[in-house]
Amino acid sequence: MEWFIANWTFVAGLAATHLSVSVVPIVVGAFLAVVFARVTPTRWVNPARGVLGAIYAIPSLALFVTLPALIGTDFTGPTNVVIALTIYVIASMYFSAHDAFHQVPRPTVTNAESMGMSSRQIFFHVELPMAVPGLIAGLRVAAASTISIASIGAVVGVRNLGYLFIDGFQRKIPEEIITGVLAIFVIAVTLDAGLWLVGRLMTRWRFVTVDHA
Amino acid sequence: MLDLTELGAWFSDPENWAGRYGLWNLVAEHLTLTFVAIVVAAIVAVPLGVAIGHLGRGEFFVVGLGSASRAIPTMGLLFALVLVMGVQFRELSVVLALSAIALPPLVAGAYSGVTTIPPWIRDSATAQGMTAWQLVRHVELPLAAASIIGGFRIAYIQVVSTVVLAPLVGLGGVGFGIIQGLALRNFSQVTASSIVIIVITVAGDRLIGLSQKFLSDRLGKPKPLETS
Repeated sequence: MEWFIANWTFVAGLAATHLSVSVVPIVVGAFLAVVFARVTPTRWVNPARGVLGAIYAIPSLALFVTLPALIGTDFTGPTNVVIALTIYVIASMYFSAHDAFHQVPRPTVTNAESMGMSSRQIFFHVELPMAVPGLIAGLRVAAASTISIASIGAVVGVRNLGYLFIDGFQRKIPEEIITGVLAIFVIAVTLDAGLWLVGRLMTRWRFVTVDHA
Repeated sequence: MLDLTELGAWFSDPENWAGRYGLWNLVAEHLTLTFVAIVVAAIVAVPLGVAIGHLGRGEFFVVGLGSASRAIPTMGLLFALVLVMGVQFRELSVVLALSAIALPPLVAGAYSGVTTIPPWIRDSATAQGMTAWQLVRHVELPLAAASIIGGFRIAYIQVVSTVVLAPLVGLGGVGFGIIQGLALRNFSQVTASSIVIIVITVAGDRLIGLSQKFLSDRLGKPKPLETS
């Protein structure tokens, strides 16, 4: 605690970098996962699951340093980390996004069709809102893991909260490492709670109690 | 960009395969650390998960453990434990940290394997006069086997990924090639090592997946009645 009080501005700066390299992958990855889940033809769903499952299994440090060989980015620095984290978010959210849309009851969509809604209207006003609980559930898992995995970016020179682990280990300051662990934990849990709240506010109709008196 | 000739040259140089920091040794070290950590964790986690599922008490523990483990950075856990326990117990502290990482998915796999068994199966076993232990041994464990292996699969991925960071706390493993290669700007070594890590992880994941499928085919379905 004393270490944190003495160094809180330093920690805050690292936390800001940490957030900036995590939020972009979470937002972009979630968007792409939803798009991919919507456009994948049914017969490609299982192969896609296989490929994305394998990608999701790749250790993050290995993925960070494989990207330069594949797309010619620098070995160190935030670019690989942001791209790799985006890939993880897509891989992890693709499944839940697909299931979320799959669980929208057919009759609901048919009703919307018979009311004369266009396919675009159906998507934005029926399918997407109905898929929100499933999408938020998948996003919460992806967001928490992204915040936690981002720390490994410190190994390839991104000065985020993971830097506290490397620096604390080299300088033998356990408090520094524990500060990093707790800071990441608090950010992840806050983000998780925030997403839960957003999901609840977006689907208020689910929590309306109808008085049948 | 990927220079295949350079990469091929790195892989075909026998220097890179032999010796203390040769690929063979590093791969062996990587897999040994992973294996030991998972076995240590499984000794605690599988009975715990099965017990929680069997008794139907302590679900909050499994759920809490699962979501907490997602928010805790494995790298910080590893570094903190090695530093606090002291470098003279390096191997022990790394194995303990890795076991802590393997624990939540193993507990969750065993727990959900048991709780997803339909209640009528358990009821009919009890109605036949099975004791609690017989129920666990002959009904719950076989039916939960595939899900238990599923827990091992996630634990393997988590642990094998974290072992990549072991060189940062003074141990070996294939991550050594990445860490050293980055420091020496030997990028073909970095790329080659990460390819080896990806192969180990994906192959292990697939292998466990196959055994999971095999087990659920053998144990998860009731055998057809002999009609003769």
